[in-house]
Amino acid sequence: MVSITIELLMDLLEKICVILVIAYLITRTRFFHDILDKKFTRRNMILFILSFGFLSIFGSYSGIVVDGAMGNVRDLGPMIAGLVGGPLAGIAVGLIGGLYRYFFIGGITTLPCSLATVFAGLFAGIIYLLNKGKFIGIWRAVIFAVAIESFHMILVLLIAQPYSAALIITEEVYMPMIISNAIGVLIFSIFINNLNKERETARERDKFYDELERKKYELEIAHEIQESFLPHEMPHLEGYDLFAINIPAKEVGGDFYDFIPLSEGKLGITIADVSGKSVPAALFMAVSRTILRAKATGNSNPAQVIKEANELIASDSKKGMFVTLFYAILDLKNKTMNYVNAGHNPPVMFVRKMGDLECLKTKGIALGALDTMEPEEKIIKLETGDVIVFYTDGVTEAVNDKDELFGEKRLYRLVKVNSGLSSKEIVNRIKDEVIGYSKGLSQFDDITLMVLKVDDRKSK
Amino acid sequence: MDMEDTKAGKVCIIVLNGRLDAYSSNKLEEKVNSLIDNSCLEMVINFDGVDYISSSGLRVILSAVKQLRKNQGDVKLACLKPYVMEVFDISGFTQLFEIYPTEEEAVNSF
Repeated sequence: MVSITIELLMDLLEKICVILVIAYLITRTRFFHDILDKKFTRRNMILFILSFGFLSIFGSYSGIVVDGAMGNVRDLGPMIAGLVGGPLAGIAVGLIGGLYRYFFIGGITTLPCSLATVFAGLFAGIIYLLNKGKFIGIWRAVIFAVAIESFHMILVLLIAQPYSAALIITEEVYMPMIISNAIGVLIFSIFINNLNKERETARERDKFYDELERKKYELEIAHEIQESFLPHEMPHLEGYDLFAINIPAKEVGGDFYDFIPLSEGKLGITIADVSGKSVPAALFMAVSRTILRAKATGNSNPAQVIKEANELIASDSKKGMFVTLFYAILDLKNKTMNYVNAGHNPPVMFVRKMGDLECLKTKGIALGALDTMEPEEKIIKLETGDVIVFYTDGVTEAVNDKDELFGEKRLYRLVKVNSGLSSKEIVNRIKDEVIGYSKGLSQFDDITLMVLKVDDRKSK
Repeated sequence: MDMEDTKAGKVCIIVLNGRLDAYSSNKLEEKVNSLIDNSCLEMVINFDGVDYISSSGLRVILSAVKQLRKNQGDVKLACLKPYVMEVFDISGFTQLFEIYPTEEEAVNSF
């Protein structure tokens, strides 16, 4: 008797192996994923029910016949179908397996065995509903399988006649059937668990890529905004040599420069850096630049322009946004420059007559920081060969691989050494040095450079 | 960037450690806003461990002072290293804040 039990168990386990290979393949199909996503379309349901119905029929057979009844794993199909797909799927698969058992396999246990298969699907479906459509988890599913097979055995004992024969059959098959069905449900539950984890990971990955894509798009927009608000050509000035560049960081920093034609013979020149990064910085740059332009036009008093621009910018500044800005009015004929420095890195001027450098500082504060301000204004006289280098902190705060800043000293030395070159050459010389300094590292901030030189050559 | 917040009486103290760049500024902004939401009016930011501050960092501190002064509160700064002091100086922010050499002096100034 014991040998039959073990033989039956081994036979059923082999059966389970085949069933699980097929079940695994089913879990890789589209309709199975759709069912997990609760897309219960007619097509998905039919495919789902037929697949597990087939497994139920296949599980009805084993090589071991005990007194005209066969040990089997027929209930596995409806149990899984009900736990995963709900009551409709569970009952339908149970009916396929149960009717097949009823009509095609005989023996004294025909009625209880057929009923047990239908009930297996029904109970699995009820558990699905009680758990609000979620899979109940590995160990609960195993306990459920043990309970269903025990119920199966009780039905046989209650219904099958004669009772003595039913008792013999049950004694021999109950252990192998409970163990093999439980193992089947256990392994299938592990499949489901892994599948759910896999799907969760895939969802997170997709979300991450979406986020990345959005970020990339945002960076592009910020670039475009910034780029469209920068001058596209240098003004041609009689007796002066002017050149500027802006190299935006990947995440733009909102640097800008501008040339504003004023009355005859006067030009407004500005360089500025907006706080923050990316789209907010680019938008604030566009606003600041437009406000400055509007206020500068027709006003040859830089302190007045900055005072008025600040009031508008401060009223627009949310979340502490501010802009450091240097604004100067160049009088081309008289060779003077009136300027206001609103918290910007002081431009450095090479005064040729002295052979030395001077920083263009005034007492001021970044625009947007205070509601009102009274900017200090200064004036300088320009002479032939003088060079003024305007820059943003992307130049002096470039870092090397030892995390050291490029700094003002290096910049000042470059200005001094290269003051004999043209504006464009000076800009490029400094740019090359800064980029070489942080070679191999990503550029953190926008680099903006502008050089104004009082021409020492005869104008062409 | 590490940040710790403690309290001395009614004064909230935030001690910063590391680089205050665009990324860590967002973290500081969250911290500052949550303190303000919990009705903190008097704030001291200790910069002892900060050797770099970007414009994003300045923006967060400016935003904090604007919010607090609206409700008769204030932000005071302590222990600025020379480079950070220079950034505050260039942007003109030294005119905007009370800056103290030690945290204790900043706290006691309220």
